[in-house]
Amino acid sequence: MKGSVRLEGVVKRHGATTVLHGVDLDIEPGEFFVLLGPSGSGKTTTLRILAGLEEVSGGRVLMDGADVTAQEPGERDVAMVFQSYALYPHMTVAQNIAFPLKMVGTDPAATQQAVADAAGKVGIGHLLERRPGQLSGGQQQRVALARAIVRQPRLFLLDEPLSNLDAKLRLETRLELHALQRALGATAVYVTHDQEEAMTLADRIAVFMEGRIVQVGTPREVFSRPATVEVAGFIGTPPMNLLPARWEGSRLLIGSEAIAAPSATNAPREVTVGVRPGDLRLASAGIDARIERIEDLGDTCITSFAVGGRLLKQKSDRLPQAREGDAVRLAFAPEAAHVFDRATGARL
Amino acid sequence: MPRTLWRRLALAAVAGVGVAVWVFPVLWGLLTSFKTERDVLAYPPVWLFKPTLDNYREVIFGASSIVPNLWSSFVLATATTLLTMLIAVPAAYALGRLRFPAKRMSGFYVLVTQMLPPVGLIIPYYLVLQKLGALDTYGGLTVIYLTFALPFAIWLMVTYFEDIPLEMEEAALLDRAGRLRTLWYVILPQVRGGIAVTTIFVFLNAWNEFMFAVVLGGNRVRPVTVAMFNFISVEQTQWAKVAAGAMLAMLPVIIIGLFAQRHIVKGLTVGAVKGGGRR
Repeated sequence: MKGSVRLEGVVKRHGATTVLHGVDLDIEPGEFFVLLGPSGSGKTTTLRILAGLEEVSGGRVLMDGADVTAQEPGERDVAMVFQSYALYPHMTVAQNIAFPLKMVGTDPAATQQAVADAAGKVGIGHLLERRPGQLSGGQQQRVALARAIVRQPRLFLLDEPLSNLDAKLRLETRLELHALQRALGATAVYVTHDQEEAMTLADRIAVFMEGRIVQVGTPREVFSRPATVEVAGFIGTPPMNLLPARWEGSRLLIGSEAIAAPSATNAPREVTVGVRPGDLRLASAGIDARIERIEDLGDTCITSFAVGGRLLKQKSDRLPQAREGDAVRLAFAPEAAHVFDRATGARL
Repeated sequence: MPRTLWRRLALAAVAGVGVAVWVFPVLWGLLTSFKTERDVLAYPPVWLFKPTLDNYREVIFGASSIVPNLWSSFVLATATTLLTMLIAVPAAYALGRLRFPAKRMSGFYVLVTQMLPPVGLIIPYYLVLQKLGALDTYGGLTVIYLTFALPFAIWLMVTYFEDIPLEMEEAALLDRAGRLRTLWYVILPQVRGGIAVTTIFVFLNAWNEFMFAVVLGGNRVRPVTVAMFNFISVEQTQWAKVAAGAMLAMLPVIIIGLFAQRHIVKGLTVGAVKGGGRR
């Protein structure tokens, strides 16, 4: 099966600034692979390097085992959906979709058939004679998708393709995109800064931070065992609560409060303790806190607590008994605690 | 009267004065071209007169016909326009896309060439053409016209190319179009308006050029702007024939202007609205 991708020590510099510091990555054929990270973390640069739109300053790009580092974008057999869709405004939808086939001299009958098939797959068969300017954002996005799938490339690259859609359409398109990728069985590399999008779409996620991949794993792995304190703070809505603590033996000292640690340490050390909002609960004994704000979202409730100058969040499916301003105590199960080295940020 | 009406009247008055200033010379020229030399010199000027086509007959078929000069102008303007566009379009595309340190400087240089008074360049140009034996030749004058037409055309076209998102070009490259076919199929169709506007401006500038033509041209290459002088001599100025010649010389300009009006207005407002130049 075609569509495997491998990055080996890819470095990218813009003048004196290094954007990517030696990225290594293996993507399996047929995988839906998401590059996730905050803006400026290097994920889009990585995607553009895969497309051949950016040259690497060091390292190699391999596709299906072959070195494509020096190949032009058109030689790589990859298709890309741009954030702005990049449709050709002077062409009709049909001409837009047919363009990649026209460029390789596909005969008109086969082109017409392929265009109809691709348009049908994304549900825009009735718009073929329109121009991009006459379409809604969602429709334009589908045209961009159809133009990408019409040539059956070995690799799809998607650069935040849903970011210009409204919230409702984004959710719908997300599901369709996933179904489409599964139906085509093609490898997809998808860039987003939206961790929810990443969690729902990805087979695996690579989390980018400051030009480095800090973790690669399934959504579940990245969520439940974040490799660094940055990943922990980035993944999850609301993000993980992080508290400075001291780890001594089998207990964690948060302020004056001692809490059971997930495991024992030989040497006491300064750490950062992370607790997911869903794992935090009100208890009769624990960390002293005061309720700052209760946000009732209908099916869930987000409660913010002030703890020694910090704000902790709790996510629960029911409203707390206490009210805003009340003094409460917070606790969590020892296995729910994620412990990170204070100095390096690495998971312990 | 309501205030808005006053405003409208005031605006109409100002616009009317503006239009009159522009239209009056043309109108006066048109009237003059149908007068006899006697009527032209009548004082006070006559508005009612018996129109004659003698002046047109003279400047078209007469001994000092300007038809060969109109042809000269046409050849010069067409050659200048073709060469300019042939070079300016790819040059502007490259300038619009490339990032190089002196980019701002190059834009400034183009502006400077437009600011230089042509009279300052005439003597060096004369000497160069003389050395090359290119005085009074179409080739020589066309090359000189390129020196002002080309920077202007490139400068105008760059803005059109810069208006096209880079991503569109990247999409075409990924669609296996390659550089040249990307330019042909994706970029050029979107700057059609800009190409039209630039072509027209370059043609009109070359058509209307006088200073270089009068010094660097001669008996063989004598565009219509220079040929007007046929009717001005030490003894007398044949105003009616000058006017008839001027009307004929203006005709192509007016026709092109009418046809291209839409493009020109759109071209001048390019960049005013995001994506406005592409629609």
